[in-house]
Amino acid sequence: MKRSYLFLCWTCGVGFLLIGLWLCFAALQSRGPDAASILPFPLGPQGYYFVAFSGCALIAWGGCLVGAARGHGSRAIGTATAVGLVLAALFRMLFWFLGDLAWMGNVLRAEAAVLLLLALAFVWLRPARAAEPL
Amino acid sequence: MGRVLAAVGIVLLFVLNLALPYTPLGRRGSDTQLHFDVPGARGELGQLLPAFTLLDLEGSPVRISDFRGKRVLLTFERSIDW
Repeated sequence: MKRSYLFLCWTCGVGFLLIGLWLCFAALQSRGPDAASILPFPLGPQGYYFVAFSGCALIAWGGCLVGAARGHGSRAIGTATAVGLVLAALFRMLFWFLGDLAWMGNVLRAEAAVLLLLALAFVWLRPARAAEPL
Repeated sequence: MGRVLAAVGIVLLFVLNLALPYTPLGRRGSDTQLHFDVPGARGELGQLLPAFTLLDLEGSPVRISDFRGKRVLLTFERSIDW
């Protein structure tokens, strides 16, 4: 029972990681010069903003599942969540720099700041290996 | 050690995020998007527009020279596609 559960966590985690990476790559690639979308539907800058965020969330989610499957417990949750938050903050900084969402003003940078502070908290408060399990 | 390195990286990103508008990267920030110049397209009153071609809604090219001698109203709008 436990083996099948871990297998489920691992396969779903890897799937989520791959889909998340694909969405993040699609968002990055869409902002390039003369880039054709690799997604099967047309999107504008706002759409790719949410695609990027979905990709970051899937990477974090997939990382949690893979970490759980490998027995890393709550440490894996902290690490994967911090990675997802940092990625999401980077995408917000990128979209701010590119100016496609200029109508949002500095909201993007404010969001990035909050996400980075949360990532810092997840990294800093992550339990040491010896402290497992919580 | 890994925790400290990760924290330092995140703090550096945080500082970069705060400093973005004041760095050379910030020249493309929120306040500058409507002020770009097309090379050679800085028009002045009384002068002819430079030649340019755009696509209409059907994708057919439209040359500004096709309208020479006629009154032309040019508007510029951002798309609202998602």
